[in-house]
Amino acid sequence: MTTQTLDRDISSERRGAGLAPIALLLAGAVFLLMMVVGLLMRAAQGNLVTIDPVLFYQLMTAHGAGMVGAAGLSGAAIMWYFLGRHVALNAKVFAIFLGLFLLGVVLILGAIFVGGFGAAWTFLYPLPAHSGGAWGNNAAIAFLCGLISIGVGFLLFYLEAARAILAKYGSLSNAMAWPLVFSGKMDHVPPPTIIASTAVIIFNSLGIVVGAAVLVISLINLMVPAFAIDPLLAKNMIYFFGHVFINAAIYMAVIGVYEIIPQYTGRPWKSSRAFAIAWSAILLFVLAVYPHHLLQDTVMPGWALVVGQVVSYLSALPVLAVTAFGLLSYVRGSGMRWDLASALLFIGVFGWSIGVVPAVIDGMISANKLMHNTQWVPGHFHTYLLLGEVAMSFGVMAWLVRSREQATFNGLDRTAFWGYVGGSVGFILVLLTAGAMSVPRRWAVHAPEWIAQDRVSAVFAVVILLGATYFVTRYAIRLLTVHDGR
Amino acid sequence: MQQQMILVVTLLGMLCVAIPFILIARSTASSVSPTPLFDDSSRRTLLWVLMILGVAVTVATLWVWPHRVVAGASTQAVNVTGHQWSWEFEPNTVKAGSPVIFNVHAGDVNHGMGVYDANKRLLFQVQAMPGYVNRVEYTFDKPGTYQILCMEFCGMGHHLMTADLTVTAADPNQGAPQ
Repeated sequence: MTTQTLDRDISSERRGAGLAPIALLLAGAVFLLMMVVGLLMRAAQGNLVTIDPVLFYQLMTAHGAGMVGAAGLSGAAIMWYFLGRHVALNAKVFAIFLGLFLLGVVLILGAIFVGGFGAAWTFLYPLPAHSGGAWGNNAAIAFLCGLISIGVGFLLFYLEAARAILAKYGSLSNAMAWPLVFSGKMDHVPPPTIIASTAVIIFNSLGIVVGAAVLVISLINLMVPAFAIDPLLAKNMIYFFGHVFINAAIYMAVIGVYEIIPQYTGRPWKSSRAFAIAWSAILLFVLAVYPHHLLQDTVMPGWALVVGQVVSYLSALPVLAVTAFGLLSYVRGSGMRWDLASALLFIGVFGWSIGVVPAVIDGMISANKLMHNTQWVPGHFHTYLLLGEVAMSFGVMAWLVRSREQATFNGLDRTAFWGYVGGSVGFILVLLTAGAMSVPRRWAVHAPEWIAQDRVSAVFAVVILLGATYFVTRYAIRLLTVHDGR
Repeated sequence: MQQQMILVVTLLGMLCVAIPFILIARSTASSVSPTPLFDDSSRRTLLWVLMILGVAVTVATLWVWPHRVVAGASTQAVNVTGHQWSWEFEPNTVKAGSPVIFNVHAGDVNHGMGVYDANKRLLFQVQAMPGYVNRVEYTFDKPGTYQILCMEFCGMGHHLMTADLTVTAADPNQGAPQ
C-alpha cells in the first residue's frame, strides 16, 4: 500500500468516525489549558507568582477534573475511532456523549470559577458540604451534577459500544476471547481492539455506576444534610470510581498502539492466548486494586489492604509482560520508520511501563506510610499520564493528520518531541524527588526548603507546554484545513 | 533514610524497564531477527521472574504487619482530633523511648496526620476520618519538637493545618530507647 493510498484511506476512515477526531482536538485543547493551570500552580508554590490559596485550590480542582476528563475523552475518542473499524457504531451516540461531556464541563467550570468550588476533583465526602465559607451549596451541586453529566455520557458511550460488539460477537465472553483463554482454541478470535474495548466497557461501566451512586448520595447530603452516608463507605466508592475511570483512559488509549504500530512495523498485533489472558487479568485487577488508595485508613479490614498491595503488584504484569513486551517484540528489527506519530505512541507505552515502578512502590503499605499524599503520588501518575496516556493521544492525533511530508522525523517535529519527553522526564523526576523529601501534595503554600524544586519543576512545565502546544496546534491546523482539503 | 532508599530503588527499577525500550528504539533500522529474545519462552521466563520477585517482596513487607498496634505497660496513648483547620492532641506531650498509640479521628471532614521531624522528614502518617478512629503506633527515638502537617486535602486552610507535638526525654526507669 502506498503512502498516498494510505492517506486517502485514513481521510475516508476519519470522516466515518464522525466526531471522534473533533473530540480528540477538544481533549488536546483541554490538556493545554490544564497544563497552563498546572504551571501556574507550580510557579505559585515556588513563589514565582502570587496566587491566593483559595484560588489555588480552585485551580487545583480544575486541573484535576480537567485532566482526568480530557484523558477520558481522548481515550474514548481513540477507542471509538478504532472500534469503528471492526463493528458498526451509531454516530449519534457519540454526539450525545460529546454533548453531555460539554454540558459537564460548563457546569464544572461554572462551579469552580463562578461558585468558588475547590474541594478537589475527588470531592471526598463530606468535604463538598464543608467549605468553610469558600463556596456555597449551589456550587457544590453544580460540580457534582457536572460529573454526573459526564458519567451518564460515558455510560451511553459504553452501552452503544457493547451493543455493537454483542451484535457481531454474540457475547461478552466471545468478545473477551474467553474460549481461547480457557480451552486454548477459538474459531474466530476477536482482534485486540475488541478484547481491549470489551474489558474497558465492563470495568468502567461498573466504576461509573458506583461513582454515580456516591455522587447522588453526596448531592442529597448537600440538599438534606440529615441524609448522611458512612464516610468510609463513601471513600471506598469514590476511590473505586476514580481509580477505575483514570485507568480506563489509559487502557482505551492503548488501542491506538495496537491499531497503528502494525502499520509501521508490517507485523499485525495478534490476539494470542497470552494477550487474551492478560486482558482478562486486567479486567479483574482494575476492579480489585483500588484499596491501595486507602492504605493509611487503618480501620479498613487488613485483608482489603493486603489485596490492595498484592494486586498493585500484579497489575504491573500485564503491562510489562504483554503490552510492553509485545510492542518491543513487534518493533525490534522491523525497520520501523520513525515519525511524530510512531515516536509518541512508542513513548506512550514506555512511559506507562516505567510508571508501574513508582506506582507499585507506593502500593506497598510500609512505603505508603512515608509516601502517601506526598508529591510522590503526582510523580507516579504524571508518569502514567504525561509519558503514557497523553503521549499516546498526541501520537494518535499526529497519525490522523500524517501525510507524506511527515514521513520523516526532523525539524520541528523532532524538537517538539524531545522537548516534550525531556520536559516530562524532568518534571516527573522532580516530583518523585520532592516526594522522597516528604513534600506534601496539594499544599498551596510551600515551606522555604521546598521552593527550589518547585521552581525547577516550573521550568520543566514550560518545556512540556511548548511541546504540547506544537502537537495540538499542528493537529488542529491539519485537521481543520490542509488534510481534509486533499 | 528510608525515603532516599525508596527513591534510589525506584529510579533503578525505572531504568531497568527503560533500557530495553532504548536499545530496541535504536535498533529498529537494523534487520535483527525477532527471535529468540522475544518469544513465548522468554515471556514465560519474564513472568516467572516477576512472580518470584513479587512473592519475595510481599512476604518481606507484610511478614510484620505494618499497622500493628500492641498496647503494653509502657505504652502511651494520645487522642488526636482533626478539624478544619487545626489539630487537638490529648495529651500533646509524650516521652521518647516508649511506644505511643495515636487514636486519630476527625470532627468534620477527612484529614491526614503526618508527623515530621525537625528536618521536615515525614516519619509516619495516618488518615483522620469522621466517624472512625484510626490507630497507629510509633516510638520516638529522640526528644524534641515534632511538627504535624495535614496530609489529606481538607479545604482552603489545608496548608495552615499544622501543630507541634513535644517529645520529652525518655524516662530513665524505662531503660534505653527501643
